[in-house]
Amino acid sequence: MAPATARPPAPAETPIESPAGSERPVRDPGWDVLVWNDPITLMSYVVLVFRRLFGYDFETATRLMLQVHHEGKAVVATQPREQAEVTVSRLHGFGLQATMGRE
Amino acid sequence: MAEVRKRRGRIQIRLDADERAALLMIVEQLAPSLGQVRRTVPVAYDDPELQAEYDRWVRPDIEQSRQADLDVMRDCIGSGEDVTVLTEEQALAWARGLNLLRITAGGLMGVEEDGWEQHADAAVRNSPDFRVLLALGLIQEELVSVLEG
Repeated sequence: MAPATARPPAPAETPIESPAGSERPVRDPGWDVLVWNDPITLMSYVVLVFRRLFGYDFETATRLMLQVHHEGKAVVATQPREQAEVTVSRLHGFGLQATMGRE
Repeated sequence: MAEVRKRRGRIQIRLDADERAALLMIVEQLAPSLGQVRRTVPVAYDDPELQAEYDRWVRPDIEQSRQADLDVMRDCIGSGEDVTVLTEEQALAWARGLNLLRITAGGLMGVEEDGWEQHADAAVRNSPDFRVLLALGLIQEELVSVLEG
């Protein structure tokens, strides 16, 4: 990902339920939502998307973004299949490289 | 120079006439390539059958929303005003649209690795495509900053 400047936290809108960050959801887990690194997308934009979609605080969103950047991918949520597909489609709407697979 | 800021809770984007003309040209030049660059193709599954279902039922909505984002940009650029006030949703549409344009431009340039900005040689740095990527990135960075602020 392309470098970005750190930003202060801001409230998220319409977060997706049951996100997984440092904590995995306990309700019917099954499909991991993965976000993959790409060299063009700004780091700050990825943080914004994670915060808006999942309601993550700035630190959690930044940690996940850096995991994507350094490791090439990160699991950003674990959800039942239909919900995971909605999450992936919303990430695609934001232009992120996202896939889903069984946990 | 293009500027995005928040004043009294309202998001404003400032683009002079030359910047609006250049941005509109970039949008119209890159828009036909959406979906042709690998990273703009929404791939959700490894399984071909599941992906085919995704392509059939979900991808059209994604492509429609992307076009809607570009239309928000076109409407703003075409307003003829140097300063346009954006709603939060319009600002998000701009951020998404700029990201899509950058991914498309980067794909057409053959960018595949992180650090492309630092590793580009002088010829690439002076190319119009490289400058487009940087210029769109600067506007997007300002938008993200305002949206996070």
